[in-house]
Amino acid sequence: MDRNMRRTLDLFLMFTGREITLKYKRSYLGFIWSLMNPILTALVFFVAFKLFMRFEIEDYTLFMLSALFPWTWFSASVSMCIHSLTGNISLIKKIIFPKRLLVVSVITGQMVTLLISIPILAVLLYYYGKSPYLSWLYIIPILLTVQFFIILGISMALAMLNAYFRDMEHITNVTLNMLFWMTPVMYPLAMVPEKYRIFLAMNPMTYLIQSWRDVIMTGRVNWVNVLIAAVTAAVCMLLGSFIFAVKDKKLDEVL
Amino acid sequence: MITAENVWKSYPVNRDKPGFKEFIVNAPEFIGKKSGLFWALKGLNFSVKKGECLGVIGKNGAGKSTLLSLLLGTSLPGKGTLTVNGKRTPLLELGAGFHQDMTGRENLVMNGILLGLTRKEALARQDAIIDFSGLSEFIDRPLRTYSGGMYMRLAFSVAVHTDPEILLIDEILSVGDEFFQKKSGDAITGLIKRGTTTVLVSHNMESIRNICSRVIWLEHGVIMADGIPGEVIGKYLNEGGKDV
Repeated sequence: MDRNMRRTLDLFLMFTGREITLKYKRSYLGFIWSLMNPILTALVFFVAFKLFMRFEIEDYTLFMLSALFPWTWFSASVSMCIHSLTGNISLIKKIIFPKRLLVVSVITGQMVTLLISIPILAVLLYYYGKSPYLSWLYIIPILLTVQFFIILGISMALAMLNAYFRDMEHITNVTLNMLFWMTPVMYPLAMVPEKYRIFLAMNPMTYLIQSWRDVIMTGRVNWVNVLIAAVTAAVCMLLGSFIFAVKDKKLDEVL
Repeated sequence: MITAENVWKSYPVNRDKPGFKEFIVNAPEFIGKKSGLFWALKGLNFSVKKGECLGVIGKNGAGKSTLLSLLLGTSLPGKGTLTVNGKRTPLLELGAGFHQDMTGRENLVMNGILLGLTRKEALARQDAIIDFSGLSEFIDRPLRTYSGGMYMRLAFSVAVHTDPEILLIDEILSVGDEFFQKKSGDAITGLIKRGTTTVLVSHNMESIRNICSRVIWLEHGVIMADGIPGEVIGKYLNEGGKDV
Protein backbone atom coordinates (compact mmCIF):
# COMPACT_ATOMS: atom_id res chain seq x y z
CA MET A 1 0.00 0.00 0.00
CA ASP A 2 1.14 3.49 -0.84
CA ARG A 3 2.60 5.24 2.18
CA ASN A 4 0.19 8.13 2.05
CA MET A 5 -2.80 5.82 1.92
CA ARG A 6 -1.39 3.87 4.82
CA ARG A 7 -1.09 7.09 6.79
CA THR A 8 -4.61 8.19 5.98
CA LEU A 9 -5.90 4.79 7.06
CA ASP A 10 -3.94 5.00 10.31
CA LEU A 11 -5.33 8.46 10.93
CA PHE A 12 -8.85 7.25 10.25
CA LEU A 13 -8.49 4.32 12.66
CA MET A 14 -6.97 6.60 15.25
CA PHE A 15 -9.79 9.16 15.03
CA THR A 16 -12.45 6.46 15.04
CA GLY A 17 -10.91 4.68 18.01
CA ARG A 18 -10.85 8.00 19.81
CA GLU A 19 -14.53 8.55 18.96
CA ILE A 20 -15.49 5.17 20.40
CA THR A 21 -13.33 4.97 23.51
CA LEU A 22 -13.07 8.57 24.65
CA LYS A 23 -16.80 9.07 24.88
CA TYR A 24 -16.96 6.95 28.02
CA LYS A 25 -13.35 7.18 29.12
CA ARG A 26 -13.92 8.79 32.49
CA SER A 27 -17.19 7.04 33.35
CA TYR A 28 -17.34 3.98 35.59
CA LEU A 29 -19.40 1.79 33.25
CA GLY A 30 -17.33 2.84 30.25
CA PHE A 31 -18.09 1.01 27.06
CA ILE A 32 -21.14 -0.71 28.64
CA TRP A 33 -22.92 2.61 28.12
CA SER A 34 -22.95 1.88 24.41
CA LEU A 35 -25.21 -1.07 25.19
CA MET A 36 -27.07 0.55 28.08
CA ASN A 37 -28.11 3.60 26.09
CA PRO A 38 -30.19 1.77 23.49
CA ILE A 39 -31.65 -0.59 26.09
CA LEU A 40 -32.77 2.26 28.32
CA THR A 41 -34.15 4.14 25.33
CA ALA A 42 -36.08 1.02 24.37
CA LEU A 43 -37.48 0.78 27.88
CA VAL A 44 -38.65 4.39 27.94
CA PHE A 45 -40.41 4.04 24.61
CA PHE A 46 -41.92 0.71 25.65
CA VAL A 47 -43.44 2.28 28.75
CA ALA A 48 -44.64 5.39 26.95
CA PHE A 49 -46.16 3.83 23.86
CA LYS A 50 -47.04 0.29 24.87
CA LEU A 51 -48.13 0.68 28.49
CA PHE A 52 -49.41 4.24 28.60
CA MET A 53 -50.63 4.94 25.09
CA ARG A 54 -51.48 1.31 24.31
CA PHE A 55 -50.56 1.21 20.64
CA GLU A 56 -52.35 -1.78 19.12
CA ILE A 57 -49.50 -2.81 16.90
CA GLU A 58 -48.15 -6.32 16.82
CA ASP A 59 -44.69 -6.69 18.42
CA TYR A 60 -44.59 -2.94 18.91
CA THR A 61 -41.30 -2.80 20.80
CA LEU A 62 -39.48 -4.67 18.08
CA PHE A 63 -41.38 -2.75 15.43
CA MET A 64 -40.24 0.55 16.85
CA LEU A 65 -36.67 -0.34 17.79
CA SER A 66 -35.90 -1.86 14.39
CA ALA A 67 -36.39 1.66 13.00
CA LEU A 68 -35.27 3.71 15.99
CA PHE A 69 -31.74 2.30 16.20
CA PRO A 70 -30.85 3.06 12.56
CA TRP A 71 -32.53 6.44 12.95
CA THR A 72 -30.40 7.19 15.99
CA TRP A 73 -27.28 6.43 13.97
CA PHE A 74 -28.45 9.00 11.43
CA SER A 75 -29.53 11.76 13.76
CA ALA A 76 -26.74 11.39 16.33
CA SER A 77 -24.10 11.40 13.57
CA VAL A 78 -25.51 14.44 11.82
CA SER A 79 -25.88 16.48 15.00
CA MET A 80 -22.35 15.55 16.09
CA CYS A 81 -20.72 16.02 12.69
CA ILE A 82 -22.00 19.54 12.42
CA HIS A 83 -19.30 20.45 14.97
CA SER A 84 -16.56 18.43 13.27
CA LEU A 85 -14.92 21.50 11.74
CA THR A 86 -15.93 24.26 14.15
CA GLY A 87 -14.92 22.08 17.09
CA ASN A 88 -11.42 21.29 15.84
CA ILE A 89 -10.15 24.73 14.96
CA SER A 90 -6.64 24.36 16.37
CA LEU A 91 -6.15 21.08 14.54
CA ILE A 92 -7.43 22.45 11.24
CA LYS A 93 -5.46 25.67 11.43
CA LYS A 94 -2.17 24.19 12.50
CA ILE A 95 -1.89 20.80 10.83
CA ILE A 96 -2.53 19.60 7.30
CA PHE A 97 -4.51 16.39 7.04
CA PRO A 98 -7.63 15.23 5.18
CA LYS A 99 -10.33 17.12 7.06
CA ARG A 100 -13.16 14.87 5.96
CA LEU A 101 -11.68 12.18 8.19
CA LEU A 102 -13.07 14.12 11.14
CA VAL A 103 -16.57 13.59 9.75
CA VAL A 104 -16.02 10.01 8.62
CA SER A 105 -14.72 8.92 12.01
CA VAL A 106 -17.72 10.31 13.90
CA ILE A 107 -20.10 8.43 11.59
CA THR A 108 -18.10 5.22 11.90
CA GLY A 109 -18.01 5.55 15.67
CA GLN A 110 -21.77 5.94 15.77
CA MET A 111 -22.17 2.98 13.44
CA VAL A 112 -20.44 0.82 16.01
CA THR A 113 -23.17 1.77 18.48
CA LEU A 114 -25.77 0.59 15.98
CA LEU A 115 -23.91 -2.68 15.42
CA ILE A 116 -23.84 -3.26 19.16
CA SER A 117 -27.59 -2.78 19.38
CA ILE A 118 -28.42 -5.33 16.66
CA PRO A 119 -28.05 -8.23 19.13
CA ILE A 120 -30.75 -6.52 21.23
CA LEU A 121 -33.05 -6.79 18.22
CA ALA A 122 -32.14 -10.47 17.83
CA VAL A 123 -33.02 -11.12 21.46
CA LEU A 124 -36.36 -9.37 20.97
CA LEU A 125 -37.07 -11.50 17.91
CA TYR A 126 -36.61 -14.63 20.02
CA TYR A 127 -38.85 -13.09 22.67
CA TYR A 128 -41.62 -12.68 20.11
CA GLY A 129 -41.17 -16.31 19.02
CA LYS A 130 -39.20 -15.61 15.84
CA SER A 131 -35.51 -15.81 15.10
CA PRO A 132 -32.92 -13.72 13.22
CA TYR A 133 -32.83 -14.26 9.46
CA LEU A 134 -29.90 -15.51 7.43
CA SER A 135 -30.60 -12.78 4.88
CA TRP A 136 -29.42 -10.21 7.45
CA LEU A 137 -25.91 -11.21 6.53
CA TYR A 138 -26.09 -9.53 3.15
CA ILE A 139 -28.99 -7.10 3.44
CA ILE A 140 -27.76 -5.35 6.59
CA PRO A 141 -24.32 -4.55 5.10
CA ILE A 142 -26.07 -3.09 2.05
CA LEU A 143 -28.28 -0.89 4.22
CA LEU A 144 -25.30 0.11 6.34
CA THR A 145 -23.40 1.20 3.24
CA VAL A 146 -26.30 3.15 1.78
CA GLN A 147 -27.02 4.89 5.05
CA PHE A 148 -23.33 5.59 5.65
CA PHE A 149 -23.13 7.60 2.43
CA ILE A 150 -26.40 9.42 3.08
CA ILE A 151 -25.06 10.54 6.46
CA LEU A 152 -21.61 11.35 5.08
CA GLY A 153 -22.96 13.51 2.27
CA ILE A 154 -25.29 15.45 4.54
CA SER A 155 -22.69 15.79 7.29
CA MET A 156 -19.93 17.07 5.02
CA ALA A 157 -22.24 19.75 3.68
CA LEU A 158 -23.56 20.76 7.11
CA ALA A 159 -20.18 20.73 8.87
CA MET A 160 -18.75 23.03 6.21
CA LEU A 161 -21.78 25.33 6.02
CA ASN A 162 -21.82 25.62 9.80
CA ALA A 163 -18.33 27.12 9.70
CA TYR A 164 -19.61 29.96 7.53
CA PHE A 165 -23.06 30.26 8.99
CA ARG A 166 -23.30 29.20 12.61
CA ASP A 167 -27.09 29.26 12.63
CA MET A 168 -26.86 26.01 10.66
CA GLU A 169 -26.47 24.06 13.86
CA HIS A 170 -29.76 25.27 15.28
CA ILE A 171 -31.58 24.87 11.99
CA THR A 172 -30.30 21.32 11.77
CA ASN A 173 -31.44 20.31 15.22
CA VAL A 174 -34.94 21.59 14.62
CA THR A 175 -35.04 19.93 11.22
CA LEU A 176 -33.83 16.61 12.61
CA ASN A 177 -36.58 16.64 15.19
CA MET A 178 -39.17 17.43 12.55
CA LEU A 179 -37.81 14.80 10.21
CA PHE A 180 -38.01 12.23 12.98
CA TRP A 181 -41.78 12.62 13.21
CA MET A 182 -42.09 12.82 9.42
CA THR A 183 -40.47 9.41 9.09
CA PRO A 184 -42.36 6.25 10.06
CA VAL A 185 -40.14 5.38 13.01
CA MET A 186 -42.65 5.33 15.87
CA TYR A 187 -45.71 4.53 13.78
CA PRO A 188 -46.45 2.40 10.70
CA LEU A 189 -46.87 4.09 7.35
CA ALA A 190 -50.35 2.57 7.09
CA MET A 191 -51.50 4.57 10.12
CA VAL A 192 -51.02 7.88 8.28
CA PRO A 193 -54.19 9.08 6.50
CA GLU A 194 -53.99 8.54 2.74
CA LYS A 195 -53.97 12.25 1.85
CA TYR A 196 -50.90 13.00 4.01
CA ARG A 197 -48.89 10.00 2.88
CA ILE A 198 -47.44 11.99 0.00
CA PHE A 199 -45.37 13.98 2.53
CA LEU A 200 -43.80 10.84 3.87
CA ALA A 201 -43.24 9.53 0.38
CA MET A 202 -41.24 12.67 -0.38
CA ASN A 203 -38.96 12.06 2.58
CA PRO A 204 -36.00 9.94 1.45
CA MET A 205 -35.46 8.64 4.98
CA THR A 206 -38.83 6.87 4.79
CA TYR A 207 -37.51 4.34 2.29
CA LEU A 208 -34.35 3.64 4.21
CA ILE A 209 -36.05 3.27 7.59
CA GLN A 210 -38.79 1.13 6.06
CA SER A 211 -36.11 -1.16 4.62
CA TRP A 212 -34.46 -1.54 8.02
CA ARG A 213 -37.75 -2.45 9.63
CA ASP A 214 -38.61 -4.92 6.85
CA VAL A 215 -35.32 -6.74 7.01
CA ILE A 216 -35.22 -6.93 10.80
CA MET A 217 -38.81 -8.11 11.17
CA THR A 218 -39.31 -10.24 8.06
CA GLY A 219 -35.84 -10.87 6.67
CA ARG A 220 -36.90 -9.39 3.34
CA VAL A 221 -36.78 -5.92 1.82
CA ASN A 222 -38.57 -4.16 -0.98
CA TRP A 223 -35.63 -3.54 -3.30
CA VAL A 224 -37.35 -0.51 -4.83
CA ASN A 225 -37.11 1.16 -1.41
CA VAL A 226 -33.43 0.26 -1.17
CA LEU A 227 -32.84 1.62 -4.65
CA ILE A 228 -34.49 4.93 -3.80
CA ALA A 229 -32.33 5.14 -0.67
CA ALA A 230 -29.23 4.37 -2.75
CA VAL A 231 -30.06 7.13 -5.22
CA THR A 232 -30.54 9.47 -2.26
CA ALA A 233 -27.11 8.45 -1.00
CA ALA A 234 -25.53 9.24 -4.37
CA VAL A 235 -27.18 12.66 -4.51
CA CYS A 236 -26.16 13.46 -0.92
CA MET A 237 -22.56 12.44 -1.62
CA LEU A 238 -22.34 14.51 -4.80
CA LEU A 239 -23.76 17.61 -3.14
CA GLY A 240 -21.81 17.08 0.08
CA SER A 241 -18.47 16.55 -1.64
CA PHE A 242 -19.06 19.53 -3.88
CA ILE A 243 -19.93 21.89 -1.04
CA PHE A 244 -17.06 20.56 1.05
CA ALA A 245 -14.50 21.02 -1.72
CA VAL A 246 -15.66 24.50 -2.76
CA LYS A 247 -16.06 25.95 0.72
CA ASP A 248 -12.83 24.36 1.96
CA LYS A 249 -10.78 26.97 0.07
CA LYS A 250 -11.70 29.84 2.36
CA LEU A 251 -12.34 27.82 5.49
CA ASP A 252 -9.33 29.28 7.33
CA GLU A 253 -10.73 32.78 6.94
CA VAL A 254 -13.93 32.04 8.83
CA LEU A 255 -12.79 29.64 11.53
CA MET B 1 11.70 24.10 -2.62
CA ILE B 2 9.43 27.04 -1.98
CA THR B 3 8.46 29.50 -4.67
CA ALA B 4 6.06 32.38 -4.18
CA GLU B 5 4.93 34.41 -7.16
CA ASN B 6 2.87 37.49 -6.51
CA VAL B 7 1.10 35.98 -3.51
CA TRP B 8 -1.84 37.90 -2.08
CA LYS B 9 -3.98 36.95 0.86
CA SER B 10 -7.03 38.71 2.23
CA TYR B 11 -9.33 38.31 5.18
CA PRO B 12 -12.82 39.71 5.52
CA VAL B 13 -12.63 42.77 7.76
CA ASN B 14 -15.88 42.02 9.51
CA ARG B 15 -15.15 38.58 10.84
CA ASP B 16 -18.05 38.66 13.25
CA LYS B 17 -21.21 38.79 11.23
CA PRO B 18 -23.82 41.28 12.36
CA GLY B 19 -26.54 39.61 14.38
CA PHE B 20 -30.10 39.45 13.15
CA LYS B 21 -31.18 42.42 15.24
CA GLU B 22 -28.44 44.72 13.97
CA PHE B 23 -29.15 43.50 10.49
CA ILE B 24 -32.80 44.51 10.72
CA VAL B 25 -32.08 47.83 12.43
CA ASN B 26 -29.37 48.83 9.97
CA ALA B 27 -30.78 47.03 6.96
CA PRO B 28 -30.39 49.97 4.57
CA GLU B 29 -26.69 50.15 5.33
CA PHE B 30 -26.00 46.50 4.76
CA ILE B 31 -27.84 46.16 1.51
CA GLY B 32 -25.59 46.69 -1.44
CA LYS B 33 -22.54 47.13 0.73
CA LYS B 34 -19.80 44.64 0.07
CA SER B 35 -17.91 43.51 3.12
CA GLY B 36 -14.42 44.96 3.12
CA LEU B 37 -11.27 42.95 2.72
CA PHE B 38 -8.08 43.30 4.64
CA TRP B 39 -5.06 42.37 2.56
CA ALA B 40 -2.63 40.68 4.91
CA LEU B 41 -0.15 39.92 2.15
CA LYS B 42 0.27 42.08 -0.93
CA GLY B 43 2.07 40.44 -3.78
CA LEU B 44 4.98 38.58 -2.25
CA ASN B 45 7.73 37.24 -4.49
CA PHE B 46 10.45 35.08 -3.02
CA SER B 47 11.87 31.60 -3.12
CA VAL B 48 13.63 29.35 -0.68
CA LYS B 49 16.18 26.84 -1.87
CA LYS B 50 16.68 23.40 -0.41
CA GLY B 51 18.69 23.55 2.76
CA GLU B 52 18.26 27.27 3.14
CA CYS B 53 17.08 28.82 6.39
CA LEU B 54 14.90 31.84 5.82
CA GLY B 55 14.21 34.22 8.67
CA VAL B 56 11.11 36.40 8.60
CA ILE B 57 11.07 39.55 10.70
CA GLY B 58 8.67 42.44 11.03
CA LYS B 59 6.33 44.14 13.42
CA ASN B 60 3.14 42.64 14.85
CA GLY B 61 0.49 42.40 12.16
CA ALA B 62 2.98 42.56 9.33
CA GLY B 63 1.71 39.29 7.86
CA LYS B 64 4.33 36.89 9.21
CA SER B 65 1.93 34.35 10.65
CA THR B 66 -0.31 34.56 7.60
CA LEU B 67 2.72 33.74 5.51
CA LEU B 68 3.48 30.72 7.66
CA SER B 69 -0.07 29.38 7.40
CA LEU B 70 0.09 29.74 3.61
CA LEU B 71 3.40 27.88 3.53
CA LEU B 72 1.92 25.18 5.73
CA GLY B 73 -1.07 24.86 3.43
CA THR B 74 -3.79 25.34 6.01
CA SER B 75 -4.85 28.38 4.05
CA LEU B 76 -4.64 29.18 0.37
CA PRO B 77 -3.49 32.37 -1.36
CA GLY B 78 -6.26 34.60 -2.66
CA LYS B 79 -4.20 35.52 -5.72
CA GLY B 80 -0.88 34.35 -7.13
CA THR B 81 0.82 30.99 -6.89
CA LEU B 82 2.72 29.38 -4.09
CA THR B 83 4.51 26.07 -4.59
CA VAL B 84 5.98 24.13 -1.74
CA ASN B 85 7.68 20.81 -2.40
CA GLY B 86 8.38 18.52 0.50
CA LYS B 87 6.86 17.43 3.77
CA ARG B 88 6.04 20.42 5.92
CA THR B 89 6.42 20.16 9.65
CA PRO B 90 4.90 22.98 11.65
CA LEU B 91 6.35 24.09 14.94
CA LEU B 92 3.67 26.73 15.24
CA GLU B 93 1.25 25.92 17.96
CA LEU B 94 2.73 22.95 19.75
CA GLY B 95 0.33 20.24 20.71
CA ALA B 96 -2.46 21.06 18.25
CA GLY B 97 -4.66 18.00 18.27
CA PHE B 98 -3.53 16.76 21.66
CA HIS B 99 -6.32 15.26 23.68
CA GLN B 100 -6.50 15.80 27.42
CA ASP B 101 -8.03 12.42 28.23
CA MET B 102 -5.54 10.34 26.28
CA THR B 103 -2.22 9.35 27.79
CA GLY B 104 1.03 10.98 26.79
CA ARG B 105 1.91 7.88 24.79
CA GLU B 106 -1.40 7.80 22.91
CA ASN B 107 -1.05 11.49 22.12
CA LEU B 108 2.49 10.93 20.97
CA VAL B 109 1.44 8.29 18.44
CA MET B 110 -1.53 10.32 17.26
CA ASN B 111 0.50 13.50 16.87
CA GLY B 112 3.20 11.55 15.05
CA ILE B 113 0.64 10.35 12.53
CA LEU B 114 -0.82 13.84 12.18
CA LEU B 115 2.66 15.19 11.49
CA GLY B 116 3.32 12.71 8.71
CA LEU B 117 4.40 9.37 10.14
CA THR B 118 2.56 6.09 9.75
CA ARG B 119 1.41 4.36 12.92
CA LYS B 120 4.17 1.80 12.56
CA GLU B 121 6.85 4.47 12.26
CA ALA B 122 5.41 6.39 15.21
CA LEU B 123 5.50 3.26 17.36
CA ALA B 124 9.04 2.50 16.28
CA ARG B 125 10.17 5.96 17.33
CA GLN B 126 8.25 6.29 20.55
CA ASP B 127 11.21 5.30 22.71
CA ALA B 128 13.46 7.88 21.10
CA ILE B 129 10.74 10.52 21.50
CA ILE B 130 10.04 9.67 25.13
CA ASP B 131 13.74 9.62 25.83
CA PHE B 132 14.21 13.04 24.24
CA SER B 133 11.28 14.52 26.14
CA GLY B 134 12.53 13.13 29.44
CA LEU B 135 8.95 12.25 30.40
CA SER B 136 9.21 8.47 30.70
CA GLU B 137 7.82 8.59 34.23
CA PHE B 138 4.64 10.34 33.12
CA ILE B 139 4.15 8.97 29.63
CA ASP B 140 1.31 6.58 30.47
CA ARG B 141 -0.65 9.14 32.46
CA PRO B 142 -3.44 11.19 30.92
CA LEU B 143 -2.32 14.43 29.38
CA ARG B 144 -4.55 16.49 31.67
CA THR B 145 -2.19 15.67 34.54
CA TYR B 146 0.74 17.29 32.69
CA SER B 147 2.07 20.73 33.51
CA GLY B 148 2.26 23.31 30.76
CA GLY B 149 5.98 22.77 30.32
CA MET B 150 5.66 18.99 30.14
CA TYR B 151 2.95 19.36 27.52
CA MET B 152 5.20 21.50 25.35
CA ARG B 153 8.14 19.17 25.81
CA LEU B 154 6.14 16.21 24.58
CA ALA B 155 4.80 18.15 21.61
CA PHE B 156 8.21 19.43 20.68
CA SER B 157 9.82 16.01 20.98
CA VAL B 158 7.27 14.47 18.63
CA ALA B 159 7.67 17.23 16.07
CA VAL B 160 11.45 16.97 15.77
CA HIS B 161 11.26 13.20 15.35
CA THR B 162 9.07 13.20 12.26
CA ASP B 163 11.81 13.67 9.62
CA PRO B 164 10.89 17.22 8.69
CA GLU B 165 11.80 18.29 5.18
CA ILE B 166 10.56 21.81 5.60
CA LEU B 167 10.39 23.24 9.09
CA LEU B 168 8.03 26.10 9.77
CA ILE B 169 8.79 27.77 13.06
CA ASP B 170 7.00 30.55 14.88
CA GLU B 171 8.99 31.72 17.89
CA ILE B 172 9.42 28.54 19.76
CA LEU B 173 13.09 28.28 20.31
CA SER B 174 12.44 28.12 24.02
CA VAL B 175 10.44 25.22 25.35
CA GLY B 176 10.34 24.05 28.94
CA ASP B 177 12.93 24.69 31.62
CA GLU B 178 16.50 25.96 31.20
CA PHE B 179 17.86 22.54 30.41
CA PHE B 180 15.22 21.57 27.93
CA GLN B 181 15.47 24.98 26.29
CA LYS B 182 19.08 24.26 25.49
CA LYS B 183 18.24 20.77 24.30
CA SER B 184 15.38 21.90 22.07
CA GLY B 185 17.37 24.82 20.70
CA ASP B 186 20.21 22.44 19.87
CA ALA B 187 17.83 20.01 18.21
CA ILE B 188 16.45 22.68 15.92
CA THR B 189 19.85 24.10 15.08
CA GLY B 190 20.98 20.55 14.41
CA LEU B 191 18.13 19.95 11.98
CA ILE B 192 18.82 23.22 10.20
CA LYS B 193 22.58 22.64 10.03
CA ARG B 194 21.92 19.19 8.57
CA GLY B 195 20.14 20.88 5.70
CA THR B 196 16.46 20.95 6.61
CA THR B 197 14.85 23.78 4.74
CA THR B 198 13.48 26.17 7.33
CA VAL B 199 11.33 29.24 7.58
CA LEU B 200 11.69 30.89 10.95
CA VAL B 201 9.52 33.75 12.16
CA SER B 202 10.98 35.50 15.16
CA HIS B 203 11.36 38.73 17.05
CA ASN B 204 14.60 37.52 18.52
CA MET B 205 17.19 39.15 16.25
CA GLU B 206 19.96 37.27 17.98
CA SER B 207 18.67 33.85 17.02
CA ILE B 208 17.77 35.01 13.51
CA ARG B 209 21.33 36.28 13.07
CA ASN B 210 22.80 33.05 14.37
CA ILE B 211 20.69 30.54 12.51
CA CYS B 212 19.36 32.03 9.29
CA SER B 213 21.18 32.24 6.01
CA ARG B 214 18.76 34.80 4.60
CA VAL B 215 16.21 37.19 6.03
CA ILE B 216 13.03 38.82 4.78
CA TRP B 217 11.58 41.92 6.39
CA LEU B 218 7.82 42.13 6.07
CA GLU B 219 5.83 45.27 6.70
CA HIS B 220 2.10 45.69 6.02
CA GLY B 221 2.15 42.60 3.82
CA VAL B 222 4.98 43.84 1.63
CA ILE B 223 8.60 42.69 1.51
CA MET B 224 10.71 45.67 2.55
CA ALA B 225 14.07 43.93 2.28
CA ASP B 226 15.42 40.53 1.36
CA GLY B 227 19.03 39.58 1.83
CA ILE B 228 21.78 38.50 4.20
CA PRO B 229 20.80 38.65 7.88
CA GLY B 230 23.15 41.40 9.05
CA GLU B 231 22.01 43.93 6.45
CA VAL B 232 18.28 43.27 6.64
CA ILE B 233 18.23 43.25 10.42
CA GLY B 234 20.22 46.49 10.50
CA LYS B 235 17.82 48.12 8.08
CA TYR B 236 14.80 46.89 10.03
CA LEU B 237 16.14 48.18 13.35
CA ASN B 238 16.99 51.56 11.82
CA GLU B 239 13.89 52.20 9.78
CA GLY B 240 11.27 49.87 11.21
CA GLY B 241 10.51 51.95 14.28
CA LYS B 242 9.98 55.22 12.42
CA ASP B 243 6.21 55.34 12.28
CA VAL B 244 5.70 54.05 15.80
